[in-house]
Amino acid sequence: MALWKRHFEESGVTEPDHSSQYIIAHLLGAKTIESLNQEKLTEFLSHDKAQQLWDLCTRRLSRMPVQYVIGEWDFRDLTLKMRPPVFIPRPETEELVELVLADLQLRQETGVRAEAQHICLEVGCGSGAISLSLLKSLPRLRAIALDQSQDAVDLTRENALSLGLQDRLQIHHIDVIKGADTVVSLYDSISTLVSNPPYLFLEDMTSLEPEILRFEDHAALDGGKDGLTVIRQILTLAPKLLSNHGRVYLEVDPRHPPVIQQWVEEHVEELLYVETRHDITDRPRFCILQKGK
Amino acid sequence: MAYRRAGNLMPRGKECILRRFMPIFQKLPNVSNFQQVNRAGLFIGFHQCPHNHCQSVNRTLHTTTPLLVAKLLSVDEIFARRSLQDYLKKIESEYVESLKIVNSGVTEGQLEGEEELRAKRTKVSLLAPLIQCIRELEAKQKEIAETESLLKDEDPDMRELADLEREACLEDIQSLRQKILGLLIPEEEADLSDLVLEVTAGVGGQEAMLFTAEVFDMYQGFAQNQGWVFDVLEYMTSEIGGLRHASASISGTHSYKRIKFEAGVHRVQRVPKTEKQGRMHTSTMTVAVLPQPTEISFTINPKDLRIETKRASGAGGQHVNTTDSAVRIVHLPTGVVSECQQERSQLKNKEKAMKVLRAKLYSMRLEEETSKRYNARKIQIGTKGRSEKIRTYNFPQDRITDHRIGMTVHDVRGFLMGEDLLEEMNSSLQDFSNQETLMDLLGENDQEGS
Repeated sequence: MALWKRHFEESGVTEPDHSSQYIIAHLLGAKTIESLNQEKLTEFLSHDKAQQLWDLCTRRLSRMPVQYVIGEWDFRDLTLKMRPPVFIPRPETEELVELVLADLQLRQETGVRAEAQHICLEVGCGSGAISLSLLKSLPRLRAIALDQSQDAVDLTRENALSLGLQDRLQIHHIDVIKGADTVVSLYDSISTLVSNPPYLFLEDMTSLEPEILRFEDHAALDGGKDGLTVIRQILTLAPKLLSNHGRVYLEVDPRHPPVIQQWVEEHVEELLYVETRHDITDRPRFCILQKGK
Repeated sequence: MAYRRAGNLMPRGKECILRRFMPIFQKLPNVSNFQQVNRAGLFIGFHQCPHNHCQSVNRTLHTTTPLLVAKLLSVDEIFARRSLQDYLKKIESEYVESLKIVNSGVTEGQLEGEEELRAKRTKVSLLAPLIQCIRELEAKQKEIAETESLLKDEDPDMRELADLEREACLEDIQSLRQKILGLLIPEEEADLSDLVLEVTAGVGGQEAMLFTAEVFDMYQGFAQNQGWVFDVLEYMTSEIGGLRHASASISGTHSYKRIKFEAGVHRVQRVPKTEKQGRMHTSTMTVAVLPQPTEISFTINPKDLRIETKRASGAGGQHVNTTDSAVRIVHLPTGVVSECQQERSQLKNKEKAMKVLRAKLYSMRLEEETSKRYNARKIQIGTKGRSEKIRTYNFPQDRITDHRIGMTVHDVRGFLMGEDLLEEMNSSLQDFSNQETLMDLLGENDQEGS
């Protein structure tokens, strides 16, 4: 471990200690170094394992994110497969799911749609983190996941199968901008619309770390000049997709909430801006909107 | 399992077990049953602890001759005490008085009437099981007195019958007495909760850290043995595989109630693995036990918390990809800190850190409330007990001694498995603690009475 940490450091790889720890833990069949017992850690690696370690660490040297190197990562209480270039879920998105869950629980209790089954639509599902997480926590929920990337659709399907959640999840390869008409014609009584859409400002794309720039799908990050290209489209389509009182939950850039609020007031009559919520670092991160007049 | 424990007990005091103990044990065909009876119904276990007596009888088996620091009284001895009889009488009269008030519906004042009535009603329902037992005990004692006369009967069959009846009565009396003592001891607020266990290496460098790892494993084994859930929250290792600091959340029936006796400083005496010249060393580690409050009983205001994560720079979110999901929470009013980097999911780390924080804060609050009560006791729980050397694990002599009750058992390796040996010692500690509680109760009663 120390050896590889040094290698990483020398090559300027970010987070050298975490990288080596997670790779080695994974090789030894665990998630974290801490969860391995003493015996395993002091064992000598077999020839195969040593070779694998070499391969994995070499990949990390090329600045490939650890999640891609070991092919998996945790999101809330799920372990999901990861594969380039499909976007790797960020910790903030875990909070987005918490938000949606808390809200859904509240709405269920106040019985607005007590009897009817909740259907959730996710735009830009990536690895499937959000939809699968929601499905796991809410046994009666049904979900639809869309992504404009075939790779993402494939990976989401794989993860759904691994977790046994495929029965309640529909996955479609659709671009919400180009295929807007298709989307609208398919769905109209969604209770919850959730998304972690590409929200980076175009100018910020250049300052990204190599891990992200070289390996993750730029289309999952680039939100256009003001970072709102996809967001605007989602909000425009929302009233057509949602049933009355249905809600939209978005993860956004900290600069977005006031801009979005204003834009919605001016351009989307049927959508009300409900509130902005902050993430664990106290940055404005989540926008909640509701359909209604 | 039973075999091994019997093996520990038998050579040490077959004589004392059979001769000095209550009649109930004479009925048992072999000593291993002693343990089963212990588990089955007489859970408060005011049984004779064989170890105490055996130490004085079989001196040759121990290299030291420990003084009896603690004496565990038998049920009979306790019942023989005047203070207990007085206390029971006092409770009975309280009950009768309360019952009278409840039944007649008449109270002294009109305004306090409702409240007083309610209070009396509660008292009646609380005391009812205890009174029931006391009455049953009195009935059994009367029964036994009657059979006494039959024992002198001329007919041998009658005598035999009377004898059997007497035996049965004695058994019942024993179990009723145990039950009564059990009911007298009030349950603590925290006894019903789960806990967070913390281990920290103390004096002794690497050796202390190795020992800490062994002790942590022991408790993991114990939890498994008891059917509890053992969830590691934090685990900081040293270079050679020792443990600097770790914490785990333990949940299950009576988990806090049992583990609370493990808090304090544990000492190990042996030749460390790291020692090149074969010299004996003494190292220490500390165990802290924090009860875990339920959501309702203890709430923390989110505004009082500062949560720190790695995602400090820039805009965060999609901008950054990191595998450092460690979370650190600071409770601003008290300065208590809790951190976790055990999981790959940041949310999970946050949840675990919160768990530890809640336990720490709750523990602090309990401290304030109970410190007065526990001041005089031998078995200290809480910060007073935190720096007390409670137990020594001596490898060369293959013995473990608990200093609070002066109890010694053998087979260090076996003990560290966290199975029966630990359970036994733990039960003895419980018994002794219960006894101290009871004595306090009666002591108070004595003062009031005089």
